[in-house]
Amino acid sequence: MRALCMMLLIVFGANLAPAYALVTDLSNKRIEIRYSFNGADLILFGAIGSSAVDPTRDDFDVVIVVRGPEAATVVRQKEKVGLIWINNQELLFPSAPGYYAVAASRPLSEIATKPVFESYGIGFDYLPLLAHTERGLAEPKAGFRKALFRLQSAQGLYRQEQDDVTHVGEGLFKTDIRLPANVPVGDFIVETFIFQKGTIKARNRIMLNVDKEGFERAAYDYAHDYPFWYGITAVLVALSAGWLAGVLGKK
Amino acid sequence: MNIFLVIGMGAVVGFLSGMFGVGGGFLMTPLLIFIGVPPAVAVATESNEITAASVSGVLAHWRRQGVDVKMGVVLIIGGAVGSFFGAQLFTYLRALGQVDLMISLAYVLFLGSVGGLMFWESVRAMIRQYKGIVPVPRSREERHKAWIHALPLKMRFRKSRLYISVLLPLSIGMFVGVLSAIMGVGGGFIMVPAMIYLLGMPTNVVIGTSLFQIIFVTALTTIFHSVNTQTVDIFLAVLLLFGAVIGAQFGAGMGLKLKAEQLRALLAALVLVVCVKMALGLVLEPVELYSVTDAVAVGGH
Repeated sequence: MRALCMMLLIVFGANLAPAYALVTDLSNKRIEIRYSFNGADLILFGAIGSSAVDPTRDDFDVVIVVRGPEAATVVRQKEKVGLIWINNQELLFPSAPGYYAVAASRPLSEIATKPVFESYGIGFDYLPLLAHTERGLAEPKAGFRKALFRLQSAQGLYRQEQDDVTHVGEGLFKTDIRLPANVPVGDFIVETFIFQKGTIKARNRIMLNVDKEGFERAAYDYAHDYPFWYGITAVLVALSAGWLAGVLGKK
Repeated sequence: MNIFLVIGMGAVVGFLSGMFGVGGGFLMTPLLIFIGVPPAVAVATESNEITAASVSGVLAHWRRQGVDVKMGVVLIIGGAVGSFFGAQLFTYLRALGQVDLMISLAYVLFLGSVGGLMFWESVRAMIRQYKGIVPVPRSREERHKAWIHALPLKMRFRKSRLYISVLLPLSIGMFVGVLSAIMGVGGGFIMVPAMIYLLGMPTNVVIGTSLFQIIFVTALTTIFHSVNTQTVDIFLAVLLLFGAVIGAQFGAGMGLKLKAEQLRALLAALVLVVCVKMALGLVLEPVELYSVTDAVAVGGH
């Protein structure tokens, strides 16, 4: 009886969780931001073993979603009041990802149908994103949601249809993950989805960490933990730098 | 951020401030905003840089006794109060998402009026010189308005050779303190004319005393912004100063080659350009109506 249970568990377990042999890894799992940080390019490698997705038998598609740490984000809209344009409306997204990138081996529309992406919340159009409204947390007005994606895309923080996943060999694929200079710090989730004939066959996730290091880290912590002393330090640095400049400038 | 761009900007503004003998905050803060530094960081960091720039500037005036310390201290007391309230206002408006608007409005208003007056005055001086008219110099007593002497709480300022109500420098200091906190400027462009025309201080102590008080008021502003909004970037301030010190050396040399009225007309034109740039930003329909900010940075909602 016990053995039967175990057997069932193994059989069903294997079927329920899409535990096909999907392995991914990053060229660098820990990104350090220093003052002269100009962004970073990472390479993600992935491989599918011979499994339910037999790469030799059928073509497969890869969609890779990278999500940065969530943060409360405000989108404001300017309106003309009298002569001038001022921020007149605002909407708070309590947990918008600070970074969101979708890379795919083909255009998303060719990989699967919209409902499939919608059910997994993949892509600019389907990423679940709520805002504070008069009715509590709800779907935001389309203009604000679009503006968020447009503005973050312009900053290089949100990316879609820009990065390709390339097939390197049988069952082997890779993509570039581009982190811009203004990337937020925190834990990133890198999710890989394997599609075949329009349905998800396997998925896995790995973590990536972006952190301020060295002088940047120390200054950031100091400014936020001891703001008064940070201010005093700023003044002392300015006084001595100014004095030095004055003395040197005289010569 | 590109370190060389920042140093280069420091150098350009330093060159202009060396040439015209101004602090340059009114140029640097808009420039920082223009290259994409968040306005709040630009204002707070520029305060920090101005502290440094004013220290290096005041040394020369100190050596030749060009600082009225007593007057400076009174201005600083007023400035401290003004800076405190300015920083509170700044923090409040930042949470509302209106701090950019306030910065732009303050720039348009003050740069517009000061630049306009300066431009008019220098052009008039040039025309007079061309026609050969020599304006009759008015004495200090004549320039000094009667209502100023009617104010209570009089105090003697020996170095400025003045006996005036302490309320006047206190309120001037307070006003400039507010501007320092919300515009990221030293406020010399308001302080210097106010000292000459309202207080009636002799010109040989005006610049030194103005710089002296700017050191303390911008230092306080830096501390207030650090505590309220954590928007001071020490490293950015030091880079800007580094560029500014180099630029100022060349600028001062260039300044000596031009006549005083020409310099003032050029400076006025520069002030007006910044003012118009800011005004257009307010009046023209923006290409992008929306903006995104981090809500955590404004202290939560």
